Amino acid sequence: MNTLKFLFAIWKTNLQSAMEYRASFLTQVIGMMVNNFIYFAIWIIFFERFKDVRGWGVNDMYVTFGILASAFGIVSLFFGNAFMLSDVINKGRLDYYLSMPKPVLLHTVSSRMISSGMGDFAYGFVSYALSGYFTWDGLARFLLAMLLAATVFAAFLILTQSLAFWFGMMSNFSNLVLNAMLTFGIYPITLFDNYAKLILFTIIPAALMGAVPAEFIRAFTWQTLGQLLLGAFGFLTLAILLFRAGLRRYESGSAIQTEV
Amino acid sequence: MKKFSKYWSIFEITLLNSLAYPGELVGRSLMIIPFMWIFYQLWKVAFSAAGVDAINGLTLQDTLWYLMMTETIELGRPPIARTMSENVKDGSVAYILNKPYDFLWYQFSSAMGETIFRAIMNAIFGGLTVWLLVGAPAHPQGFLVAIPAVLGAWVLHFCINAMIGLSAFVVEDVAAFTWIYQKLAFIFGGMLIPLDFYPQWMQTLAKAMPFSSALYGPARLFVSPTMDLFIGVMSLQMFWIITLVFVLVVAYRRGLTQLTVNGG
Repeated sequence: MNTLKFLFAIWKTNLQSAMEYRASFLTQVIGMMVNNFIYFAIWIIFFERFKDVRGWGVNDMYVTFGILASAFGIVSLFFGNAFMLSDVINKGRLDYYLSMPKPVLLHTVSSRMISSGMGDFAYGFVSYALSGYFTWDGLARFLLAMLLAATVFAAFLILTQSLAFWFGMMSNFSNLVLNAMLTFGIYPITLFDNYAKLILFTIIPAALMGAVPAEFIRAFTWQTLGQLLLGAFGFLTLAILLFRAGLRRYESGSAIQTEV
Repeated sequence: MKKFSKYWSIFEITLLNSLAYPGELVGRSLMIIPFMWIFYQLWKVAFSAAGVDAINGLTLQDTLWYLMMTETIELGRPPIARTMSENVKDGSVAYILNKPYDFLWYQFSSAMGETIFRAIMNAIFGGLTVWLLVGAPAHPQGFLVAIPAVLGAWVLHFCINAMIGLSAFVVEDVAAFTWIYQKLAFIFGGMLIPLDFYPQWMQTLAKAMPFSSALYGPARLFVSPTMDLFIGVMSLQMFWIITLVFVLVVAYRRGLTQLTVNGG
Protein backbone atom coordinates (compact mmCIF):
# COMPACT_ATOMS: atom_id res chain seq x y z
CA MET A 1 0.00 0.00 0.00
CA ASN A 2 2.88 2.32 0.90
CA THR A 3 4.56 1.54 -2.41
CA LEU A 4 1.38 2.43 -4.28
CA LYS A 5 1.15 5.74 -2.42
CA PHE A 6 4.77 6.41 -3.27
CA LEU A 7 4.15 5.60 -6.95
CA PHE A 8 1.16 7.93 -7.14
CA ALA A 9 3.20 10.69 -5.53
CA ILE A 10 5.98 10.25 -8.12
CA TRP A 11 3.50 10.19 -11.03
CA LYS A 12 1.81 13.30 -9.69
CA THR A 13 5.15 15.10 -9.48
CA ASN A 14 6.08 13.94 -13.00
CA LEU A 15 2.76 15.25 -14.32
CA GLN A 16 3.17 18.57 -12.57
CA SER A 17 6.66 18.86 -13.99
CA ALA A 18 5.38 18.12 -17.53
CA MET A 19 2.55 20.61 -17.08
CA GLU A 20 5.09 23.31 -16.33
CA TYR A 21 5.60 23.42 -20.10
CA ARG A 22 1.99 23.07 -21.14
CA ALA A 23 2.44 24.09 -24.78
CA SER A 24 5.29 21.62 -25.24
CA PHE A 25 3.23 18.87 -23.53
CA LEU A 26 0.24 19.48 -25.78
CA THR A 27 2.39 19.71 -28.91
CA GLN A 28 3.95 16.35 -28.09
CA VAL A 29 0.63 14.66 -27.30
CA ILE A 30 -1.16 15.95 -30.40
CA GLY A 31 1.97 15.49 -32.52
CA MET A 32 2.25 11.85 -31.50
CA MET A 33 -1.41 11.18 -32.28
CA VAL A 34 -1.05 12.75 -35.73
CA ASN A 35 2.19 10.82 -36.21
CA ASN A 36 0.41 7.54 -35.43
CA PHE A 37 -2.52 8.38 -37.69
CA ILE A 38 -0.20 9.07 -40.62
CA TYR A 39 1.88 5.97 -39.94
CA PHE A 40 -1.19 3.77 -39.86
CA ALA A 41 -2.28 5.16 -43.24
CA ILE A 42 0.51 3.02 -44.74
CA TRP A 43 -1.33 -0.10 -43.60
CA ILE A 44 -4.60 1.24 -45.01
CA ILE A 45 -2.90 1.71 -48.39
CA PHE A 46 -1.35 -1.75 -48.16
CA PHE A 47 -4.61 -3.53 -47.35
CA GLU A 48 -6.51 -1.48 -49.92
CA ARG A 49 -4.31 -3.13 -52.52
CA PHE A 50 -3.71 -6.62 -51.06
CA LYS A 51 -6.87 -7.02 -48.89
CA ASP A 52 -5.57 -9.87 -46.77
CA VAL A 53 -2.30 -11.25 -45.37
CA ARG A 54 -2.93 -14.91 -44.56
CA GLY A 55 -6.21 -14.14 -42.85
CA TRP A 56 -5.27 -10.72 -41.42
CA GLY A 57 -7.13 -7.69 -42.71
CA VAL A 58 -6.93 -3.99 -41.98
CA ASN A 59 -9.39 -4.34 -39.06
CA ASP A 60 -7.02 -6.72 -37.30
CA MET A 61 -4.24 -4.21 -37.86
CA TYR A 62 -6.30 -1.46 -36.20
CA VAL A 63 -6.61 -3.58 -33.05
CA THR A 64 -2.95 -4.68 -33.09
CA PHE A 65 -1.67 -1.15 -33.68
CA GLY A 66 -4.06 0.16 -31.02
CA ILE A 67 -2.98 -2.21 -28.26
CA LEU A 68 0.71 -1.75 -29.10
CA ALA A 69 0.37 2.04 -29.06
CA SER A 70 -1.51 2.11 -25.76
CA ALA A 71 0.87 -0.33 -24.06
CA PHE A 72 3.87 1.66 -25.33
CA GLY A 73 2.17 4.87 -24.19
CA ILE A 74 1.45 3.64 -20.69
CA VAL A 75 5.08 2.57 -20.17
CA SER A 76 6.33 5.92 -21.55
CA LEU A 77 4.01 7.81 -19.24
CA PHE A 78 4.46 5.92 -16.00
CA PHE A 79 7.84 4.20 -16.36
CA GLY A 80 9.62 6.48 -18.82
CA ASN A 81 13.05 5.94 -17.29
CA ALA A 82 12.90 2.27 -18.34
CA PHE A 83 13.92 3.51 -21.82
CA MET A 84 17.06 5.12 -20.34
CA LEU A 85 17.95 2.58 -17.66
CA SER A 86 21.27 1.58 -19.26
CA ASP A 87 22.27 5.23 -19.37
CA VAL A 88 21.35 5.65 -15.68
CA ILE A 89 23.47 2.59 -14.81
CA ASN A 90 26.45 3.67 -16.90
CA LYS A 91 26.58 7.21 -15.64
CA GLY A 92 26.49 6.12 -12.02
CA ARG A 93 23.13 7.78 -11.50
CA LEU A 94 21.79 4.78 -9.59
CA ASP A 95 23.63 6.23 -6.56
CA TYR A 96 20.79 8.62 -6.02
CA TYR A 97 18.11 5.90 -6.01
CA LEU A 98 20.23 3.57 -3.86
CA SER A 99 20.42 6.19 -1.16
CA MET A 100 16.60 6.38 -0.91
CA PRO A 101 14.50 4.09 1.32
CA LYS A 102 12.32 2.94 -1.61
CA PRO A 103 12.48 -0.03 -4.03
CA VAL A 104 15.40 0.91 -6.30
CA LEU A 105 14.10 -0.46 -9.59
CA LEU A 106 10.58 0.89 -9.19
CA HIS A 107 11.85 4.30 -8.09
CA THR A 108 14.30 4.49 -11.00
CA VAL A 109 11.97 3.52 -13.82
CA SER A 110 9.04 5.60 -12.59
CA SER A 111 11.12 8.76 -12.17
CA ARG A 112 10.55 10.05 -15.66
CA MET A 113 7.46 10.75 -17.72
CA ILE A 114 7.69 10.91 -21.51
CA SER A 115 4.91 13.31 -22.45
CA SER A 116 4.39 11.98 -25.98
CA GLY A 117 3.31 8.70 -24.35
CA MET A 118 -0.05 10.33 -23.67
CA GLY A 119 -0.54 10.64 -27.43
CA ASP A 120 0.27 6.94 -27.94
CA PHE A 121 -1.95 5.90 -25.05
CA ALA A 122 -4.96 7.87 -26.35
CA TYR A 123 -4.36 6.89 -29.96
CA GLY A 124 -4.60 3.21 -29.04
CA PHE A 125 -8.21 3.67 -27.90
CA VAL A 126 -9.11 5.58 -31.06
CA SER A 127 -7.56 2.85 -33.18
CA TYR A 128 -9.55 0.17 -31.34
CA ALA A 129 -12.76 2.20 -31.69
CA LEU A 130 -12.20 2.44 -35.45
CA SER A 131 -11.41 -1.25 -35.88
CA GLY A 132 -14.98 -2.45 -36.25
CA TYR A 133 -14.37 -4.91 -33.39
CA PHE A 134 -15.51 -2.48 -30.69
CA THR A 135 -17.81 -3.89 -27.99
CA TRP A 136 -18.08 -2.92 -24.32
CA ASP A 137 -16.76 -6.27 -23.09
CA GLY A 138 -14.08 -5.95 -25.76
CA LEU A 139 -13.10 -2.62 -24.21
CA ALA A 140 -12.72 -4.30 -20.81
CA ARG A 141 -10.48 -6.90 -22.49
CA PHE A 142 -8.58 -4.06 -24.19
CA LEU A 143 -7.83 -2.50 -20.80
CA LEU A 144 -6.67 -5.78 -19.28
CA ALA A 145 -4.62 -6.71 -22.36
CA MET A 146 -3.06 -3.25 -22.38
CA LEU A 147 -1.86 -3.64 -18.78
CA LEU A 148 -0.44 -7.08 -19.44
CA ALA A 149 1.21 -6.03 -22.73
CA ALA A 150 2.66 -2.97 -20.97
CA THR A 151 4.06 -5.25 -18.25
CA VAL A 152 5.75 -7.42 -20.87
CA PHE A 153 7.12 -4.32 -22.60
CA ALA A 154 8.42 -2.69 -19.41
CA ALA A 155 9.99 -6.00 -18.33
CA PHE A 156 11.61 -6.36 -21.75
CA LEU A 157 13.09 -2.87 -21.48
CA ILE A 158 14.43 -3.57 -17.99
CA LEU A 159 15.90 -6.91 -19.11
CA THR A 160 17.73 -5.53 -22.12
CA GLN A 161 18.86 -2.31 -20.46
CA SER A 162 20.07 -4.12 -17.32
CA LEU A 163 22.68 -5.84 -19.46
CA ALA A 164 24.56 -2.56 -19.04
CA PHE A 165 25.63 -3.86 -15.59
CA TRP A 166 27.77 -6.42 -17.42
CA PHE A 167 28.53 -4.88 -20.81
CA GLY A 168 28.67 -1.12 -20.22
CA MET A 169 27.31 1.16 -22.92
CA MET A 170 24.33 -0.59 -24.52
CA SER A 171 22.61 2.24 -26.37
CA ASN A 172 23.00 0.66 -29.83
CA PHE A 173 21.88 -2.75 -28.70
CA SER A 174 19.00 -1.28 -26.71
CA ASN A 175 17.82 0.71 -29.71
CA LEU A 176 18.15 -2.30 -31.96
CA VAL A 177 16.06 -4.61 -29.78
CA LEU A 178 13.52 -1.86 -29.01
CA ASN A 179 13.02 -1.23 -32.70
CA ALA A 180 12.82 -4.96 -33.39
CA MET A 181 10.18 -5.35 -30.63
CA LEU A 182 8.00 -2.54 -32.01
CA THR A 183 8.47 -3.50 -35.66
CA PHE A 184 7.70 -7.20 -35.16
CA GLY A 185 4.84 -6.30 -32.82
CA ILE A 186 2.96 -4.36 -35.46
CA TYR A 187 3.29 -6.85 -38.35
CA PRO A 188 0.68 -9.60 -38.84
CA ILE A 189 1.86 -12.66 -36.94
CA THR A 190 0.60 -14.90 -39.74
CA LEU A 191 3.63 -13.79 -41.78
CA PHE A 192 5.99 -15.78 -39.61
CA ASP A 193 6.86 -19.47 -39.57
CA ASN A 194 7.05 -21.51 -36.36
CA TYR A 195 10.73 -20.78 -35.68
CA ALA A 196 10.16 -17.03 -36.03
CA LYS A 197 7.08 -17.30 -33.79
CA LEU A 198 9.18 -19.03 -31.12
CA ILE A 199 11.52 -16.00 -31.15
CA LEU A 200 8.54 -13.62 -31.00
CA PHE A 201 7.29 -15.29 -27.82
CA THR A 202 10.68 -15.55 -26.10
CA ILE A 203 13.81 -13.58 -27.10
CA ILE A 204 11.88 -10.64 -28.58
CA PRO A 205 8.39 -11.09 -27.08
CA ALA A 206 6.70 -8.86 -29.66
CA ALA A 207 3.81 -11.33 -30.05
CA LEU A 208 2.87 -10.71 -26.40
CA MET A 209 2.65 -6.99 -27.08
CA GLY A 210 0.79 -7.06 -30.40
CA ALA A 211 -0.73 -10.22 -31.88
CA VAL A 212 -1.73 -12.14 -28.72
CA PRO A 213 -3.41 -9.19 -26.92
CA ALA A 214 -5.16 -8.32 -30.20
CA GLU A 215 -6.48 -11.86 -30.45
CA PHE A 216 -7.65 -11.72 -26.82
CA ILE A 217 -9.50 -8.42 -27.47
CA ARG A 218 -11.28 -9.77 -30.55
CA ALA A 219 -12.54 -12.84 -28.71
CA PHE A 220 -11.97 -14.12 -25.19
CA THR A 221 -10.18 -17.45 -24.86
CA TRP A 222 -8.53 -18.92 -21.76
CA GLN A 223 -5.54 -19.83 -23.92
CA THR A 224 -4.71 -16.24 -24.93
CA LEU A 225 -5.39 -14.97 -21.40
CA GLY A 226 -3.08 -17.66 -20.05
CA GLN A 227 -0.36 -16.72 -22.55
CA LEU A 228 -0.62 -13.06 -21.59
CA LEU A 229 -0.59 -13.71 -17.83
CA LEU A 230 2.28 -16.16 -18.08
CA GLY A 231 4.22 -13.79 -20.34
CA ALA A 232 3.65 -10.75 -18.12
CA PHE A 233 4.55 -12.42 -14.82
CA GLY A 234 7.35 -14.52 -16.32
CA PHE A 235 9.10 -11.59 -17.97
CA LEU A 236 8.57 -9.30 -14.99
CA THR A 237 10.10 -11.86 -12.63
CA LEU A 238 13.05 -12.37 -14.96
CA ALA A 239 13.56 -8.61 -15.28
CA ILE A 240 13.55 -8.07 -11.50
CA LEU A 241 15.94 -10.98 -10.93
CA LEU A 242 18.34 -9.78 -13.62
CA PHE A 243 18.28 -6.21 -12.32
CA ARG A 244 19.00 -7.43 -8.78
CA ALA A 245 21.84 -9.64 -10.00
CA GLY A 246 23.25 -6.70 -11.90
CA LEU A 247 22.89 -4.37 -8.95
CA ARG A 248 25.34 -6.54 -7.02
CA ARG A 249 27.97 -5.70 -9.66
CA TYR A 250 27.16 -1.99 -9.74
CA GLU A 251 30.03 0.33 -9.03
CA SER A 252 29.48 3.99 -8.38
CA GLY A 253 31.59 6.50 -10.20
CA SER A 254 31.33 8.78 -7.15
CA ALA A 255 30.18 11.53 -9.48
CA ILE A 256 28.14 14.31 -7.98
CA GLN A 257 24.73 14.14 -9.65
CA THR A 258 21.65 16.24 -9.31
CA GLU A 259 18.36 14.52 -10.01
CA VAL A 260 15.72 16.93 -11.24
CA MET B 1 36.85 28.34 -53.72
CA LYS B 2 38.90 29.26 -50.64
CA LYS B 3 35.66 30.23 -48.94
CA PHE B 4 34.44 26.64 -49.14
CA SER B 5 37.64 25.02 -47.88
CA LYS B 6 36.55 25.59 -44.27
CA TYR B 7 33.27 23.77 -44.92
CA TRP B 8 35.21 20.93 -46.56
CA SER B 9 37.33 20.78 -43.38
CA ILE B 10 34.18 20.62 -41.23
CA PHE B 11 32.91 17.80 -43.49
CA GLU B 12 36.23 15.93 -43.18
CA ILE B 13 36.35 16.30 -39.40
CA THR B 14 32.80 15.00 -38.96
CA LEU B 15 33.50 12.18 -41.41
CA LEU B 16 36.56 11.09 -39.41
CA ASN B 17 34.63 11.50 -36.16
CA SER B 18 32.03 9.06 -37.39
CA LEU B 19 34.84 6.50 -37.81
CA ALA B 20 36.18 7.08 -34.31
CA TYR B 21 33.65 4.64 -32.82
CA PRO B 22 33.42 1.73 -35.29
CA GLY B 23 31.34 -0.35 -32.84
CA GLU B 24 28.76 2.41 -32.65
CA LEU B 25 28.72 2.72 -36.45
CA VAL B 26 28.27 -1.02 -37.02
CA GLY B 27 25.78 -1.42 -34.16
CA ARG B 28 23.55 1.32 -35.51
CA SER B 29 23.63 -0.16 -39.00
CA LEU B 30 22.59 -3.64 -37.88
CA MET B 31 19.07 -2.31 -37.44
CA ILE B 32 18.47 -2.61 -41.19
CA ILE B 33 18.78 -6.43 -41.07
CA PRO B 34 15.52 -7.21 -39.17
CA PHE B 35 13.75 -4.54 -41.23
CA MET B 36 14.75 -6.16 -44.54
CA TRP B 37 13.89 -9.62 -43.25
CA ILE B 38 10.39 -8.56 -42.19
CA PHE B 39 9.85 -6.73 -45.49
CA TYR B 40 10.78 -9.95 -47.27
CA GLN B 41 8.20 -11.91 -45.26
CA LEU B 42 5.50 -9.34 -45.94
CA TRP B 43 6.11 -8.85 -49.66
CA LYS B 44 6.60 -12.55 -50.33
CA VAL B 45 3.10 -13.18 -48.97
CA ALA B 46 1.67 -10.11 -50.76
CA PHE B 47 3.05 -11.13 -54.18
CA SER B 48 1.94 -14.69 -53.63
CA ALA B 49 -1.58 -13.54 -52.61
CA ALA B 50 -1.78 -11.30 -55.69
CA GLY B 51 -0.74 -14.29 -57.84
CA VAL B 52 1.57 -12.21 -60.04
CA ASP B 53 5.33 -12.00 -60.66
CA ALA B 54 5.39 -8.23 -61.06
CA ILE B 55 3.23 -5.32 -59.91
CA ASN B 56 3.49 -2.20 -62.07
CA GLY B 57 6.87 -3.33 -63.33
CA LEU B 58 8.35 -4.31 -59.96
CA THR B 59 9.10 -7.93 -59.11
CA LEU B 60 9.57 -9.19 -55.54
CA GLN B 61 13.33 -8.93 -56.07
CA ASP B 62 13.04 -5.31 -57.34
CA THR B 63 10.74 -4.40 -54.44
CA LEU B 64 13.21 -5.67 -51.85
CA TRP B 65 16.16 -3.84 -53.46
CA TYR B 66 13.99 -0.71 -53.74
CA LEU B 67 13.21 -0.91 -50.01
CA MET B 68 16.88 -1.49 -49.20
CA MET B 69 17.67 1.80 -50.95
CA THR B 70 14.90 3.79 -49.24
CA GLU B 71 15.97 2.42 -45.85
CA THR B 72 19.62 3.26 -46.59
CA ILE B 73 18.71 6.86 -47.41
CA GLU B 74 16.42 7.22 -44.39
CA LEU B 75 18.59 5.47 -41.80
CA GLY B 76 21.71 7.22 -43.07
CA ARG B 77 20.59 10.76 -42.49
CA PRO B 78 21.48 12.35 -39.16
CA PRO B 79 18.88 14.01 -36.88
CA ILE B 80 19.67 17.60 -37.97
CA ALA B 81 16.43 19.10 -36.65
CA ARG B 82 16.97 17.56 -33.21
CA THR B 83 20.60 18.73 -33.11
CA MET B 84 19.60 22.28 -34.02
CA SER B 85 16.81 22.22 -31.47
CA GLU B 86 19.25 21.04 -28.77
CA ASN B 87 21.69 23.80 -29.79
CA VAL B 88 18.92 26.33 -29.19
CA LYS B 89 17.73 24.73 -25.94
CA ASP B 90 21.18 24.50 -24.31
CA GLY B 91 22.31 27.85 -25.67
CA SER B 92 25.26 26.43 -27.64
CA VAL B 93 23.77 27.99 -30.78
CA ALA B 94 25.29 31.27 -29.56
CA TYR B 95 28.77 29.79 -29.98
CA ILE B 96 28.00 28.53 -33.49
CA LEU B 97 26.42 31.76 -34.68
CA ASN B 98 29.33 33.96 -33.67
CA LYS B 99 31.96 31.89 -35.50
CA PRO B 100 33.33 33.04 -38.88
CA TYR B 101 31.26 30.62 -40.91
CA ASP B 102 27.72 30.48 -42.22
CA PHE B 103 25.37 28.64 -39.83
CA LEU B 104 23.54 26.72 -42.59
CA TRP B 105 26.73 25.72 -44.46
CA TYR B 106 28.21 24.58 -41.15
CA GLN B 107 25.17 22.39 -40.41
CA PHE B 108 25.14 21.02 -43.97
CA SER B 109 28.87 20.11 -44.00
CA SER B 110 28.58 18.51 -40.60
CA ALA B 111 25.42 16.56 -41.55
CA MET B 112 26.95 15.23 -44.77
CA GLY B 113 30.05 14.13 -42.86
CA GLU B 114 27.86 12.11 -40.51
CA THR B 115 25.77 10.67 -43.32
CA ILE B 116 28.37 9.08 -45.63
CA PHE B 117 29.65 6.17 -43.52
CA ARG B 118 26.27 5.56 -41.91
CA ALA B 119 24.75 5.14 -45.36
CA ILE B 120 27.60 2.96 -46.61
CA MET B 121 27.26 0.63 -43.62
CA ASN B 122 23.48 0.44 -44.03
CA ALA B 123 23.89 -0.30 -47.74
CA ILE B 124 26.39 -3.08 -46.95
CA PHE B 125 24.28 -4.80 -44.26
CA GLY B 126 20.97 -4.17 -46.05
CA GLY B 127 22.41 -5.23 -49.41
CA LEU B 128 23.89 -8.47 -48.03
CA THR B 129 20.58 -9.34 -46.34
CA VAL B 130 18.54 -8.72 -49.47
CA TRP B 131 21.08 -10.55 -51.63
CA LEU B 132 20.78 -13.62 -49.39
CA LEU B 133 16.97 -13.44 -49.44
CA VAL B 134 16.20 -12.74 -53.12
CA GLY B 135 19.50 -12.73 -55.00
CA ALA B 136 21.52 -10.01 -56.72
CA PRO B 137 19.88 -6.83 -58.04
CA ALA B 138 18.60 -7.19 -61.62
CA HIS B 139 20.59 -4.11 -62.71
CA PRO B 140 23.79 -3.80 -60.63
CA GLN B 141 24.75 -0.65 -62.59
CA GLY B 142 21.79 0.97 -60.78
CA PHE B 143 24.14 1.57 -57.85
CA LEU B 144 26.21 4.03 -59.88
CA VAL B 145 23.28 5.63 -61.70
CA ALA B 146 21.45 6.28 -58.42
CA ILE B 147 24.40 7.95 -56.63
CA PRO B 148 23.68 11.54 -57.84
CA ALA B 149 20.01 11.11 -56.92
CA VAL B 150 20.94 9.79 -53.46
CA LEU B 151 23.19 12.82 -52.87
CA GLY B 152 20.34 15.08 -54.04
CA ALA B 153 17.99 13.23 -51.66
CA TRP B 154 20.24 14.09 -48.72
CA VAL B 155 20.31 17.75 -49.77
CA LEU B 156 16.50 17.72 -49.84
CA HIS B 157 16.33 15.99 -46.47
CA PHE B 158 18.73 18.57 -45.11
CA CYS B 159 16.63 21.50 -46.38
CA ILE B 160 13.41 20.16 -44.85
CA ASN B 161 15.04 19.09 -41.58
CA ALA B 162 16.92 22.36 -41.25
CA MET B 163 13.63 24.22 -41.68
CA ILE B 164 12.13 22.10 -38.89
CA GLY B 165 15.27 22.74 -36.83
CA LEU B 166 14.97 26.47 -37.43
CA SER B 167 11.48 26.41 -35.97
CA ALA B 168 13.31 25.76 -32.67
CA PHE B 169 14.27 29.45 -32.83
CA VAL B 170 10.59 30.07 -32.09
CA VAL B 171 9.15 26.97 -30.36
CA GLU B 172 12.35 25.29 -28.96
CA ASP B 173 11.02 21.69 -28.97
CA VAL B 174 10.66 20.36 -32.51
CA ALA B 175 10.17 16.64 -31.77
CA ALA B 176 6.53 16.57 -32.89
CA PHE B 177 7.37 18.22 -36.22
CA THR B 178 10.15 15.72 -36.91
CA TRP B 179 7.85 12.75 -36.23
CA ILE B 180 5.21 14.13 -38.56
CA TYR B 181 7.73 14.94 -41.28
CA GLN B 182 9.19 11.45 -41.00
CA LYS B 183 5.78 9.82 -41.37
CA LEU B 184 4.83 12.06 -44.31
CA ALA B 185 8.10 10.98 -45.94
CA PHE B 186 7.16 7.34 -45.21
CA ILE B 187 3.84 7.73 -47.03
CA PHE B 188 4.42 10.26 -49.79
CA GLY B 189 8.05 9.23 -50.28
CA GLY B 190 7.16 5.56 -50.75
CA MET B 191 9.52 4.41 -48.06
CA LEU B 192 7.70 1.26 -46.95
CA ILE B 193 5.52 0.69 -50.02
CA PRO B 194 6.74 1.69 -53.52
CA LEU B 195 4.54 4.49 -54.88
CA ASP B 196 3.84 2.29 -57.93
CA PHE B 197 1.60 0.12 -55.71
CA TYR B 198 -0.58 3.09 -54.63
CA PRO B 199 -3.96 3.97 -56.15
CA GLN B 200 -3.45 6.15 -59.26
CA TRP B 201 -4.71 9.38 -57.67
CA MET B 202 -2.36 8.97 -54.74
CA GLN B 203 0.60 8.19 -56.98
CA THR B 204 0.00 11.44 -58.88
CA LEU B 205 -0.27 13.40 -55.65
CA ALA B 206 2.78 11.79 -54.03
CA LYS B 207 5.01 12.10 -57.09
CA ALA B 208 4.36 15.85 -57.20
CA MET B 209 5.66 16.31 -53.63
CA PRO B 210 9.29 16.77 -52.55
CA PHE B 211 9.20 13.59 -50.42
CA SER B 212 9.13 11.41 -53.55
CA SER B 213 12.29 13.12 -54.86
CA ALA B 214 13.98 12.34 -51.56
CA LEU B 215 13.12 8.61 -51.40
CA TYR B 216 11.09 7.11 -54.25
CA GLY B 217 13.05 8.77 -57.08
CA PRO B 218 16.54 7.53 -56.12
CA ALA B 219 15.27 4.06 -55.11
CA ARG B 220 13.26 3.60 -58.32
CA LEU B 221 16.25 4.76 -60.35
CA PHE B 222 18.35 2.18 -58.55
CA VAL B 223 16.10 -0.73 -59.65
CA SER B 224 15.26 0.70 -63.12
CA PRO B 225 18.35 2.64 -64.24
CA THR B 226 17.12 4.04 -67.58
CA MET B 227 18.16 7.35 -69.14
CA ASP B 228 14.55 8.64 -69.29
CA LEU B 229 13.99 7.95 -65.61
CA PHE B 230 17.37 9.46 -64.71
CA ILE B 231 16.49 12.73 -66.49
CA GLY B 232 13.01 12.78 -64.94
CA VAL B 233 14.21 12.09 -61.38
CA MET B 234 17.13 14.52 -61.53
CA SER B 235 15.09 17.38 -63.07
CA LEU B 236 12.34 17.11 -60.46
CA GLN B 237 14.93 16.84 -57.71
CA MET B 238 16.76 19.97 -58.93
CA PHE B 239 13.48 21.86 -59.00
CA TRP B 240 12.77 20.93 -55.36
CA ILE B 241 16.34 21.62 -54.23
CA ILE B 242 16.30 25.15 -55.72
CA THR B 243 12.86 25.87 -54.26
CA LEU B 244 13.62 24.54 -50.79
CA VAL B 245 17.08 26.14 -50.55
CA PHE B 246 15.44 29.48 -51.33
CA VAL B 247 12.73 28.95 -48.68
CA LEU B 248 15.35 27.76 -46.16
CA VAL B 249 17.55 30.83 -46.59
CA VAL B 250 14.54 33.16 -46.19
CA ALA B 251 13.35 31.20 -43.13
CA TYR B 252 16.83 31.35 -41.58
CA ARG B 253 17.12 35.14 -42.02
CA ARG B 254 13.69 35.65 -40.48
CA GLY B 255 14.36 33.09 -37.73
CA LEU B 256 17.49 34.92 -36.58
CA THR B 257 15.40 37.90 -35.63
CA GLN B 258 13.24 35.70 -33.37
CA LEU B 259 16.01 33.79 -31.61
CA THR B 260 16.31 34.05 -27.85
CA VAL B 261 19.39 32.38 -26.36
CA ASN B 262 18.79 30.98 -22.88
CA GLY B 263 22.32 30.46 -21.70
CA GLY B 264 25.22 28.26 -22.75
